[in-house]
Amino acid sequence: QQIQEELNKQLFDNLVSFLRQSHPDFQEKTTEWTRGMKSREIPTAALVLGVNVTDHNLTFRSLTDVLQNNITPYIAMLEAKNCAGIKNLMQKLMEQLMNCQIDEEPLEDEDYVQVSQKRIRCSMSSLVTWYESVTKKTDTGTPSKRASPSSKYGQYPPVVVVLKDMESFSTKVLQDFIVISSEHIHELPLVMVFGIATSPMMIHNVLPHSVSSLLCIELFQSLSCKEHLSTVIDKLLLTPQYPFKLGEKALQVLINIFLYHDFSVQNFIKGYQLCIVEHFYSQPLSVLCCQLADAKTRANALSHDQCENVRRLPSFRRYVESQVAEKQIALLTEDSCLKETVQELLQDLHIYHENYISALRCLHVFTSFLPKHPLGKQIRELHCTCLEDRVWETEEYESSLQLARMLNKSDLVTMLQQCVEIFVSSSGKQSDEIVEKLKEFLTQFQKLEAEAFQEPDVSISSPKELQKKTDLYHLQKTLLELKESKRSKKLTKFELLRFEVVDYIDSLVRKYLLPADHKTLHEVVYFNTASVLREHLNAAPRIALHTALNNPYCYLKNQALRSDGGSISNKAPDICIVYRLHLECGRLINLVDWLEAFTTVMMAAEGPNADAASSDQDDDVIHARFIRAVSELELLGFIKPSKQKTDHVARLTWGGC
Amino acid sequence: SKKNEEDKMSNLVEEYFEAHSSSKVLTSDRTLQKLQKKRLNQQTLHDLLRKTPLAYADEIKRLNQQHENLFSKWILQLHLGFNIVLYGLGSKRDLLEKFRTSVLKDNVHLVVNGYFPSITVRSILNSITEEVLDHVGTFRSPPDQLEFIIKRFKEDSSLELYILIHNLDGQMLRGEKSQQILAQLSSLPNIYFIASVDHINAPLMWDQAKLSLYNWLWYETTTFSPYVEETSYENSFLVQQSGSLALSSLTHVLRSLTLNARGIFRLLAQYQLENKDNPSYPGLSFQDFYQQCREAFLVNSDLTLRAQLTEFRDHKLIRTKRGTDGVEYLLIPVDDSTLTDFLEKEDETV
Repeated sequence: QQIQEELNKQLFDNLVSFLRQSHPDFQEKTTEWTRGMKSREIPTAALVLGVNVTDHNLTFRSLTDVLQNNITPYIAMLEAKNCAGIKNLMQKLMEQLMNCQIDEEPLEDEDYVQVSQKRIRCSMSSLVTWYESVTKKTDTGTPSKRASPSSKYGQYPPVVVVLKDMESFSTKVLQDFIVISSEHIHELPLVMVFGIATSPMMIHNVLPHSVSSLLCIELFQSLSCKEHLSTVIDKLLLTPQYPFKLGEKALQVLINIFLYHDFSVQNFIKGYQLCIVEHFYSQPLSVLCCQLADAKTRANALSHDQCENVRRLPSFRRYVESQVAEKQIALLTEDSCLKETVQELLQDLHIYHENYISALRCLHVFTSFLPKHPLGKQIRELHCTCLEDRVWETEEYESSLQLARMLNKSDLVTMLQQCVEIFVSSSGKQSDEIVEKLKEFLTQFQKLEAEAFQEPDVSISSPKELQKKTDLYHLQKTLLELKESKRSKKLTKFELLRFEVVDYIDSLVRKYLLPADHKTLHEVVYFNTASVLREHLNAAPRIALHTALNNPYCYLKNQALRSDGGSISNKAPDICIVYRLHLECGRLINLVDWLEAFTTVMMAAEGPNADAASSDQDDDVIHARFIRAVSELELLGFIKPSKQKTDHVARLTWGGC
Repeated sequence: SKKNEEDKMSNLVEEYFEAHSSSKVLTSDRTLQKLQKKRLNQQTLHDLLRKTPLAYADEIKRLNQQHENLFSKWILQLHLGFNIVLYGLGSKRDLLEKFRTSVLKDNVHLVVNGYFPSITVRSILNSITEEVLDHVGTFRSPPDQLEFIIKRFKEDSSLELYILIHNLDGQMLRGEKSQQILAQLSSLPNIYFIASVDHINAPLMWDQAKLSLYNWLWYETTTFSPYVEETSYENSFLVQQSGSLALSSLTHVLRSLTLNARGIFRLLAQYQLENKDNPSYPGLSFQDFYQQCREAFLVNSDLTLRAQLTEFRDHKLIRTKRGTDGVEYLLIPVDDSTLTDFLEKEDETV
């Protein structure tokens, strides 16, 4: 229970609010534009949203909120699944518009509310009567409806119709609707918003010229889902705020699902949720995964069993082994001593996270500038490599350091400034004892900056040359030349400085970007079981069926079933044998032959002790078992009855699976 | 390994074309008739199978035991807004039953047998509105009913409902509309879904939008237990057909016919439904039927209609009966409720 509470805490609200924020410009623009529009054609905003259909709901919801708050319009949101015909579409539209208006003016206009409610009910009551009155409703209903509230607002607020999924609307309905509403555009200022998942070309494919000329379309592009993802990762994973962390493998799986399957941020979040659930469900020490203060009190209240759990953690064992003998004994026997150490270790872990994130951002600032991006462009890639292993041992890191040593001055200065900013913001947050070091670094940074600023004045000749060459390649060449010919003292000063900075960054990296696996007690906050994720989110039912049918030994651990390579033991379950026999056939299978083959196998399995007397009875039983197995295969979708030839079935799969 | 994978891929493709390259198939011409053996009927089949012992009972039991250990985890995950889908070889019916009896005893729950050939989404929705929500009254269409359910569940947060679906990929539930409605149902926070799928192509039913509504967590539960209930409806060609037609077979046969043939059958069905309260209704006489078909431009001669009716008769879709006056009367030997369901479905698809 306690665990559950912890789970749901914080996370989701934060995400929703964040997703809302990510669209503000875009929404702002749209609202501005709907307000300004007044034309003979139907003004239409086409929002190009990308293929991640599942994320769009939130976008649209916040869009309606924004529109409603700015008191412009009444909004109806139409979905293709509700609008099979123009009739349904109009009905849904009326319903929603009326509801909208009732929402807006709850008690001000009693008569009006009653009228509209009556109308809704009447429209609901029977399809036939509604169908007869549909012309009346559209022609007279909407304009009068508009007239009453608009007089109160003083202006004519436009009525916005949002078509959420433009692609799935039937073209005829859409065309009809556009033509109808364009007829009434004078009495009813209608604005349409299309949500488009593919590309704006779509509009022209769906709508013929005569219809699309009735629209006045403006395109809006939404953020790409990749940017979305990187912000989500930024906000969710790269903050010290949340105690729960993802390990490298799990993160990699989630990112892969996102990039290679669906581009859906919502699914990413779902996967993240699953990680949290799994973590808190399976890991007994996850109670300690919470804010530092809480964690300390909980560590104090650990029961004896939990202490044993702590002792069993591999990372903790490593830690114990590195201690002196007396300490080891104390840790392994006395609970109180263990609790104290655990508290210290938790504190350590917390500090490590804070440092880690700022150091990571710092490194990212450096590496993302480099040509070819040896360590990756996005911070998430860098994060993954850092989690995986010691980052400074990788080749990519070496090459990026090489490149960093050749940076020119202005880039270096801006980078340094950015790093300083990162550290200022993070040190402002931390306000703990670790700040000391950061402060020291900060001053050093500033000094560097100041010196760097003075430098061009002091050494005019050579750096001037450097400044001209912005290209790194040329820079490298000139530098090499300069090195060879004469060693200018001023230049070395700059170079020294640069080396110092890079080395310093390097040391920073080595100090703080230790992969989490190397920390003690990392099991408490890191979730790293990628197989669970893959199994539950990205399942492969066909593979499961295939292995079960091909190699039943995987599931039924019976020695009789053990078989080597391609063959299958004749003691396998019926369905496996029938499946195996069917694999050997082509597109069509003769049932008689199949049955005979099956009988042969069965007879062989029963061995010589099957005497002749009971063979007739046996035959029937085998026949029955065959029927059962075949109908099971049919249920599973491997075969289907065929009309091409009598007593044949068609195979629906091909090859070996 | 990438090259290896590519090889595998091209192999698969080649295998496909190999399997479908020639229209000529080389199989022997033997038929079951020549086998000189009586066909088993459903009953004897059952008896025979019951007598044979289940192979590897111990191992299967152990597998089930493993799956049962997951029950508490499922409950937790259901409450966190996920829905659970089970896949793998073997019937998952007993497992779900066990889950139901052991965990859901005290909760409101609904069991849907997806393999049952006459099940419709409407019947699922009806049992929710009538038995769970105590609502009397009918709805015009499933979407309206769904809306009502959604509204009720949103208003009253104390309502909770577990829905167990055996074979979500059953014949009648695999349609796009049914899945859409079920998906919307499953997205309600107070309704918890546990479903099982068996067909190899079951995941093809769901697109991105539906998947996100369903919010599935996949669990592999290979049980190896035989599909007893599930296949008892699968009218196998090796078994003698029992008399009454099921809705699914009706729709399947009709779907393979031409438009006009479907129209003819529809006409007859409508006429029969109009007269369902008349106990002495003998059926539609051939002459009247011919007249009506002509008026609807479905046939142009006596002969074509006769040919069509012969085809129906071969599929056991109609029965003819000679009345006292020597006139042929046509009847559909299907019970009225199935026929009503059928017409409704037809209306949806047209």
